[in-house]
Amino acid sequence: MSDDTAHRPPHLPGETGVWVFILGDMLMFAAFFIVFMAYRSEDVALYVNSQHTLNQHFGALNTFLMLTSSWCVAVAVEAGRADHRQRAQAWLVAAMGCALCFVVVKFFEYSEKIAAGFTLTTNDFFMYYFMLTGLHLMHVLLGLGVLCYLWFSLRAAPSAASMRTLESGASFWHMVDILWIVLFALLYLLR
Amino acid sequence: MPSLLKLRVTWLWLLLIGATIVSWEFGHGLGFGDNYRLSTSAVLIIAFIKARVVILDFMEIRHAPRALRFILEAWTVVVAATLLILYWQSA
Amino acid sequence: MNTRNELLCIWSAVLFVVLFTIGLWPLAHFLPAHAPTASAEDIAALYQARPWQMRLGLFVMMGCSGLVCAFVAAITVAMKRMENGLGVLTLTQLSAGTCGAVFLIVPCLVWTAAAYRPERSPELTLLLNDLGWIMLFMPFTTFVVQNIAIGLAVLGDRNAVPEMPRWVGFLNLWVAVLFIPGGFLTFFKTGPFAWNGVFVYWIPLVVFLGWYMVMFVLLRQGALKAARAA
Repeated sequence: MSDDTAHRPPHLPGETGVWVFILGDMLMFAAFFIVFMAYRSEDVALYVNSQHTLNQHFGALNTFLMLTSSWCVAVAVEAGRADHRQRAQAWLVAAMGCALCFVVVKFFEYSEKIAAGFTLTTNDFFMYYFMLTGLHLMHVLLGLGVLCYLWFSLRAAPSAASMRTLESGASFWHMVDILWIVLFALLYLLR
Repeated sequence: MPSLLKLRVTWLWLLLIGATIVSWEFGHGLGFGDNYRLSTSAVLIIAFIKARVVILDFMEIRHAPRALRFILEAWTVVVAATLLILYWQSA
Repeated sequence: MNTRNELLCIWSAVLFVVLFTIGLWPLAHFLPAHAPTASAEDIAALYQARPWQMRLGLFVMMGCSGLVCAFVAAITVAMKRMENGLGVLTLTQLSAGTCGAVFLIVPCLVWTAAAYRPERSPELTLLLNDLGWIMLFMPFTTFVVQNIAIGLAVLGDRNAVPEMPRWVGFLNLWVAVLFIPGGFLTFFKTGPFAWNGVFVYWIPLVVFLGWYMVMFVLLRQGALKAARAA
């Protein structure tokens, strides 16, 4: 499968309406990111100290899982485009697998924090940590549902509409990946 | 396998993994010594470069109508800039 | 199908938005919201300052909230066209939307009770004030369900000429997501997730009123289109 990306005419991935949702969600999370950074500026020491208690390995692992799931979805879309439906479905399953692992890692990460006595109301940093990663996790779960739906929709014969559906769902998943990329930097890596 | 390696997205995925490792190291003190402000700025900038790669080549916005591409590029730049400014004001 | 009555219910949106804003803002001074961390004495002082103005503002807010029911009915009629009959999503929206109207009216009554006898013990006024805010912003659930129902109906509209453009379906799903943080006010007294915070007060308020106006435009277009087709 080569990809001639140089001279394609402009093509909107997915249907127009889904971008209302995706851009809206990105706007909302942008607000979250900015509010986080603004409040952090008022008490940097607290945030830095709290950040030290985070499990960096879980954070990094989750980033690899998100990136890999996004790659799998991108490959699935290419396969769908070439009408290799079963291959596309296989890659979607791989993406779902990564997503499930992400959820499991999050479960362990949250359990570890709560067992150590850090909860939503411990301090401002942990409020943001649990709220932001929690809202992201909700998006991951929603995305898992979307990926499942895409898997089922690939059973039917391909059409322009089904390709649009595939692209719409894929775009949503990539957004979920992008949000985690930023969250990982903000919550785990700032100094 | 070889067909996978021909895919642009595969190479970009490897690049993203690499960028994650680099940024993780920067976040843990590599390369900038005590200058945590620079290392954190690098971490933030790398994060948004990664986001841009996902936007342009995974979401396929590189080939999308210009208006949508503009909006998403603007999101990347504005959010990154705002976060950097807020960070530098306090660091 | 009575287009004039349908349009009447749709235009009630304008009356509701204008009156609710007047009641909330210049009259009752509930914009911005009281701080959850304010002391009982401070809150009691707010209710004692100009009780007649507070009562009037709350009266207006409560009084115009019944119009939400008319708007919900207008949405219902449009959804009936989408689902080609009284489908389950249409009924979900009708039921959830009606419950939503209740949670606009009841908080105003609770606050009215506080404003009714502002000289009572400040602790009691604080309690009533807390109750009002919690009742206004925490019950995201019916609004979320209502918006999801509308979103799914718009996206599932298989008619030759869809009732509403597909992006409206996605818009409603996004609005649903934006209402959810309102529920988290229970955990916080300060910060962006408190009832006076950006994610609980400002965003849901702006989103709700904005959604109302967008739906107003679309419902009106839909009603006129249906009248022409009939």
